[in-house]
Amino acid sequence: MFQTEQEHLIQMINQIALNNISAGDENDVADMVASHVKKFWSRRMKSQLFECVEQGGEELHPAARLAGERLQSETKPLPQ
Amino acid sequence: MLQHFDPRIDHNRDYGTPASLSENLVTLEIDGVEICVPEGTSVMRAAALADINIPKLCATDNLEAFGSCRLCAVQIDGRRGLPASCTTPAEQGMKVWTQNDKLAKLRRNIMELYISDHPLDCLTCPANGDCELQDMAGAVGLREVRYGFDGENHLDAPKDTSNPYFTFDASKCIVCSRCVRACSEVQGTFALTIDGRGFDSKVAAGQDEDFLDSECVSCGACVQACPTATLMENSVIEMGQPEHSVVTTCAYCGVGCSFKAEMKGDKLVRMVPYKGGEANHGHSCVKGRFAFGYATHKDRIRTPMIRDSIDQPWKEVSWEEAIGFAARRLKEIQSEYGRESIGGITSSRCTNEETYLVQKLIRAAFGNNNTDTCARVCHSPTGYGLKTTLGESAGTQTFDSVMKADCVLVIGANPTDAHPVFGSLLRRRLREGASLIVADPRHIDLLDTPHLGDAMHLPLRPGTNVAMVNALAHVIVSEGLEDTDFIAQRCESDAYAKWRAFIADERHAPEAVEAITGVAAEQVRAAARAYAKAPNAAIYYGLGVTEHSQGSTMVMGIANLALATGNIGRDGVGVNPLRGQNNVQGSCDMGSFPHELPGYQHVSDAVARGRFEAAWGVQIDDEPGLRIPNMFDAAIAGHFRAMYVQGEDIAQSDPNTQHVEEALRSLDCLIVQDIFLNETAKFAHVLLPGSTFLEKNGTFTNAERRINRVRKVMPPIAGKEDWEVTVELSNALGYPMNYSHPSEIMDEIAMLTPSFAGVSYDKLDQYGSLQWPCNAENPVGMPIMHVESFPIGKAHFAVTEFVPTTERANRRFPLLLTTGRILSQYNVGAQTRRTENQVWHNEDILELHPHDAEERGINDGDWLGITSRAGQTVLRARISERMQPGVVYTTFHHPGSGANVITTDNSDWATNCPEYKVTAVQVEKVSQPSEWQKSFEDNNQRQQKFLREAAPAGEGR
Ligand code: SF4
Ligand code: SF4
Ligand code: SF4
Ligand code: FES
Repeated sequence: MFQTEQEHLIQMINQIALNNISAGDENDVADMVASHVKKFWSRRMKSQLFECVEQGGEELHPAARLAGERLQSETKPLPQ
Repeated sequence: MLQHFDPRIDHNRDYGTPASLSENLVTLEIDGVEICVPEGTSVMRAAALADINIPKLCATDNLEAFGSCRLCAVQIDGRRGLPASCTTPAEQGMKVWTQNDKLAKLRRNIMELYISDHPLDCLTCPANGDCELQDMAGAVGLREVRYGFDGENHLDAPKDTSNPYFTFDASKCIVCSRCVRACSEVQGTFALTIDGRGFDSKVAAGQDEDFLDSECVSCGACVQACPTATLMENSVIEMGQPEHSVVTTCAYCGVGCSFKAEMKGDKLVRMVPYKGGEANHGHSCVKGRFAFGYATHKDRIRTPMIRDSIDQPWKEVSWEEAIGFAARRLKEIQSEYGRESIGGITSSRCTNEETYLVQKLIRAAFGNNNTDTCARVCHSPTGYGLKTTLGESAGTQTFDSVMKADCVLVIGANPTDAHPVFGSLLRRRLREGASLIVADPRHIDLLDTPHLGDAMHLPLRPGTNVAMVNALAHVIVSEGLEDTDFIAQRCESDAYAKWRAFIADERHAPEAVEAITGVAAEQVRAAARAYAKAPNAAIYYGLGVTEHSQGSTMVMGIANLALATGNIGRDGVGVNPLRGQNNVQGSCDMGSFPHELPGYQHVSDAVARGRFEAAWGVQIDDEPGLRIPNMFDAAIAGHFRAMYVQGEDIAQSDPNTQHVEEALRSLDCLIVQDIFLNETAKFAHVLLPGSTFLEKNGTFTNAERRINRVRKVMPPIAGKEDWEVTVELSNALGYPMNYSHPSEIMDEIAMLTPSFAGVSYDKLDQYGSLQWPCNAENPVGMPIMHVESFPIGKAHFAVTEFVPTTERANRRFPLLLTTGRILSQYNVGAQTRRTENQVWHNEDILELHPHDAEERGINDGDWLGITSRAGQTVLRARISERMQPGVVYTTFHHPGSGANVITTDNSDWATNCPEYKVTAVQVEKVSQPSEWQKSFEDNNQRQQKFLREAAPAGEGR
């Protein structure tokens, strides 16, 4: 009946991308999205985004997927 | 605005006429005493400042002088006659005499006339001891009434007891018209008039209606202004005159009015707005003034309670046991599901100190950043948007600044209902001639302010704010109305160039967006010109801006408008978010958000974090925690399992109720600290009694960044102030907290938060209030922000692309529902529903346009089923021309209304602030409550029973 956690996150990040669409080309938009997610998302939300990217990230806006890839490559591995 | 901090002024005295703000001084002599006052000061006020009290009846210092009673006559050397001192301005070199035989005789004669038509029941009169007529009779030495009491009089005039809070006893009226003037000058409602002439004149409400049926909004200004017992609080009639008072701050809306809580022992007799309050200057609204009865309501939770499952009755336990139980559950859950499996929610209704402690508890004792606040669902976009553009997450002005504005643009706010005391101030300015532009889907009362020449209403479609603000900016740019000097000096040039290129594009022209917003292009152009060309133009906005999928974008669009026209950094201009709850500003300032430590310092900022780590003696997570909606998702997904909620009712106030309920049901341990069994508490395992603002010490920060003291006037009903409960929970969790008074918490806040560095309780007592930033550079705070520079150096124009919400009207859901508030009720209504304010609004109603009603065969008062993709609820209909066709409206003050059963979990892209203001719905006539309402009622009955059955541990079961 409700969105799953991951569906919600995908919706959120796509919305971030759309709202920054005028930042420039896809690269610039991805930068905006990445810095937003970095600043506001929790560790677990980020890791779910990475899972989604790893699964191909088809539901992700292209700039959002790019942002996810960038964040993943610069993120330290999870503690524990 | 210049703060007139004048230690000479005693706010408990009545100086007879208002202060003059002139900078020119004149010196005069009164009864041989020399006194120097600002030009324009009345002789009466000058005398009062010299401690000489001239008798008076029709004058009081929050109203313009009227000169009708003549009791204040004085003799002035070189002038004929005996002029009224209240209407005579002080002049250089004047010599005034306030007492001599001639004056004494005149005054006695006047009093004699008044008293001959006044009941002589002083000993049994509720005003006995607080009656100016009585005082004046004493002051003038009245000894006999030669006219006798048998002549024609008004002694049998009937009482009007229609208002639940005050009585109008016309037999005692001296027709001084103070009430009439208070209603028009101070409140701006014009509900009262003097009917008739001479002996027949009398005070009348509305068209000779009773008070309740008239336009009266029960603000109490007339009651306060009345010098006799004619208009009198019922609580005083019942309890008698108070014997001491304490200055404190209203706990309802973000205006943050100061009040004198007038007491008899530990019983609150009445709340009287305090003239020394910088936010309200002695005015108030019905909520703060009268709706305090909830504090002693029988529904207050008086004992801590616990239970293992929400399907069980409550068990009354000691504080110790409840706290121990809560701490044990939290620790067990963390050890099983990990450090991040628990979190908490701070409250915008609690004090700064309490909010600070809850986030500290979460960051230090829980060891994660899963802290959020209900500001998430109201003004989080303000924080984001203003920080991005202006560099600080706060409004830029004082409330008083509006008195210098020439054009006022109100967007998505309804100040006369939601911020009434500011609404009255704004109305006063509009009566003086400022122009008004309202951008709102609904026709709001402000548009009907009397004497108003040129109110412009832009009735835009819900969800099109950003298209509208872009169109306004487009006109400013394309018609050359920018303040180019301001932009060149004060704004980042690259960002500006980028924004300018974006906004100049023809797709933002009012003509191009007409079809989106539904507002005629010419109207938009006229509004943009009026805003841009006014010498001082100010923007006020509310939740109609923030509670959208583009809330943050809209806040940035508003800041862009102010920057482009140079309307920042002085009196009369600015960007002013009107905050819903009393301490929304404070709860944001205090580090309630998962990504920010107090003072908006990001958790990843190693330097700031390091300071907190050193002071708190723990390591703080450098990654943001969960926001409220993500906590709900995580709870349903099963990895978030416990929550500590202080003073918030997320089950009623958050959108998509069924989703919230499912999340709350998924928790293993929900700890609710509240004054009542609120909706959230029905899902709780631990219920900790909260304390009202009357029962604790602390501070609130209002929408002007003003830090006001909250002072305890009665002991907490369950024995503990809220901050004490948090301290004990922390200690039980093994993280020691040790404070003996909230002032020590404030000292810690000041030490760790740069913008609060100069704040202390001593300084607050000295100055009354302080507007942050208050630090070494601004030792007594900063009334107007960004005067010389921005905290980020130069201001940042943000590109604001319009992205339509996905929540759109379609064939299945053809109408757009938007939500709002009403004057007499406050937020989820837990407090105001437990007061007599219910007489004004005892149910939430769906307003719809006659056209939409006719199409569906709906009549006034019909039961309507309102269905969205999230759920269905049933409300009664009111047909109203305030709405535009296609848009329906309701409030959410009553839990059983289920307004949030229909709102969706759509939210702001940047902050997840829910889109309460746009929900696509269908409306149809029905004959019974919705399924949700039925199950709500069942659950309510069951949980109330669990509460009634609550028994001390081991007893009865
Ligand atoms: S209570 Fe307020 S609104 Fe009502 S009559 Fe008095 S001043 Fe006017
Ligand atoms: S009701 Fe009170 S304030 Fe109004 S005219 Fe009568 S005495 Fe004066
Ligand atoms: S509710 Fe708001 S306007 Fe009314 S008295 Fe309280 S702070 Fe003032
Ligand atoms: S007080 Fe001056 S005329 Fe009444």
